[in-house]
Amino acid sequence: MWEAFDVGLPDQAAGRAMIAQQLLNGLVSGGVYALFALGFTLVFGLHGILNLAHGGVLMAGAFIAYYTVQAGLPLALGLVLAIIGGGLLSVLLEFTAFRRLRRSGEVEFGAIISSIGANLVLVTIAQRISHTQVMRFPFGTFPIVIYQFLGVRVSALQLFMAACSLVLVVILTFCLYRTGAGRQIRAVASNERAAVLVGTNPNAVYFQTFFLSGALAGAAGVLVGLAFNSIHFMMGEPYLLRGFVVIILGGLGSVPGAMLGSLLFGMIQTLTIAYLPSGLTDAIIYSILFLILLVRPNGLLGKPAAGVMRGRR
Amino acid sequence: MIKFLAAYRPLIDLFLLQSGYALSQYIVLRAGVFSIASAGLAAIGAYVAALLTMRLGLSPILSIPIGAVAGLASALLISWPLARLRGVYQAIATLAFVQIVLSLNLYAEAVTGGAMGLNGIPSLVGTWTLLPVLIGVGYVVTAVNANKLGRAFEAMRQDEAVAASLGVSVTLNQSIAFGLSGAIAGLYGGLEAFHSYALEPNQFGFAFVVATLSYVVFGGRRSVLGPIIGTAVLVALPELARPLAENRTLAYGVLLMLVINFMPRGIVDSLLEYVHRRRMARP
Repeated sequence: MWEAFDVGLPDQAAGRAMIAQQLLNGLVSGGVYALFALGFTLVFGLHGILNLAHGGVLMAGAFIAYYTVQAGLPLALGLVLAIIGGGLLSVLLEFTAFRRLRRSGEVEFGAIISSIGANLVLVTIAQRISHTQVMRFPFGTFPIVIYQFLGVRVSALQLFMAACSLVLVVILTFCLYRTGAGRQIRAVASNERAAVLVGTNPNAVYFQTFFLSGALAGAAGVLVGLAFNSIHFMMGEPYLLRGFVVIILGGLGSVPGAMLGSLLFGMIQTLTIAYLPSGLTDAIIYSILFLILLVRPNGLLGKPAAGVMRGRR
Repeated sequence: MIKFLAAYRPLIDLFLLQSGYALSQYIVLRAGVFSIASAGLAAIGAYVAALLTMRLGLSPILSIPIGAVAGLASALLISWPLARLRGVYQAIATLAFVQIVLSLNLYAEAVTGGAMGLNGIPSLVGTWTLLPVLIGVGYVVTAVNANKLGRAFEAMRQDEAVAASLGVSVTLNQSIAFGLSGAIAGLYGGLEAFHSYALEPNQFGFAFVVATLSYVVFGGRRSVLGPIIGTAVLVALPELARPLAENRTLAYGVLLMLVINFMPRGIVDSLLEYVHRRRMARP
């Protein structure tokens, strides 16, 4: 915005540049929400498992990247390790927290408790490792470069975040809709018994979805850690809450819906922070969510049956 | 006995309060409504009761019931739009309600004290008030369960379409469940306000939602004893695990996972089912 005044643009144009700047910031943070929310919606929408430990996986991703950088290794390696580590951690969660419950047929509510427990374990371990401190990436981990065009400032970090989100989302969409494994995932999601009858191994499918979901959360953790340069054991919690909002906004189990929801959420958030009294940000965001649900009870792109709880007893 | 009571008084009070919230959460789940609005409704009840007494000098004997009525009214108000939603969408919409109440509470500093909350509320509610209230609320919930209303709730929980075809008005009964839940939450909000001297908005946030939900699911979602036992176990656990010191939360987390994995319906319901099966197997 300052530049806009410097080059002597009239007020109106400056205002427009400000809006453009906020929209851009919103899009970038929306991209990070998308990474987190896609993994969440994948597990929630496809298997009906509400994984409240997903925030813990995000936190673990950030931790892995931080300790990799601390060990003197490049950030890129940290990102890769966080993606793999997040995926593996998520698979471990599936093994320990959900596998038995799934067989019992009470997964809808049981998963909530089980994943709360798992999240507590993750958070406690992280707290122990970090000695309850807020950690920061060493200065210069990511070069601070700011580009400028049309009166809008974009930092190299923002570009990197947007690019990362875009690439990972494209990979996920490709995996889900263009490969055999993706077809199996969707088959198990729509009808597990029928999918087993035609020869899919459901355990392998759960393995894949949890790995994908955890990998995305791990990546999101690194990006969040870089963006706010603060890594601590509680960092997953706010994302969990926003993750709920985003996937419901877009429609449960809908990948394009989750992306649309994330971008919308990111932009609404930055705009309300920029233009409205700061205390009211949350109230406005959640009122919008409430209103959208009233108009479209299944989210923006959701299908009618998606919200009905399956196998309710 | 007296010694035990004196030493564990805070814990017992905590249990008595939390059981009330658990019952408020239980009654909606019982009717097949996945609402987690109890936190927001409790906040409304607590603030209404506390403010009436602190600002207008109303006696708590009046202001706590008014808090309960405020909870009831707001629950009925939100039940009307929420009737359109089902399952998780209902859960998230009610979560949004909780967040809206929370942030309005933080924003309206002039009235609610903002993030600082309300301090110096007269502490007039003790164990001997909480105990009879819990027994009373427990009785009401049991009576509802044993009644026509309870059967309607059970039918709705099992299958909404079937319930509707049997002449159960789903919208009406959902509103009743919401209203009951709101009244209980508001009542206990008011009791908590007069029990703990101070209120602050964040105590009715996401953590509250997670806690009450876990009491009910951990204990069992069918019988009335479920939420009570669940609360008792989860409230007492951190205290019992005190010798573990630093590993306490770790142990708590692991235990939550283990119990729910091996007793997926919650402690009480799983045990009841086991006993039932044993009895049926006997020749």
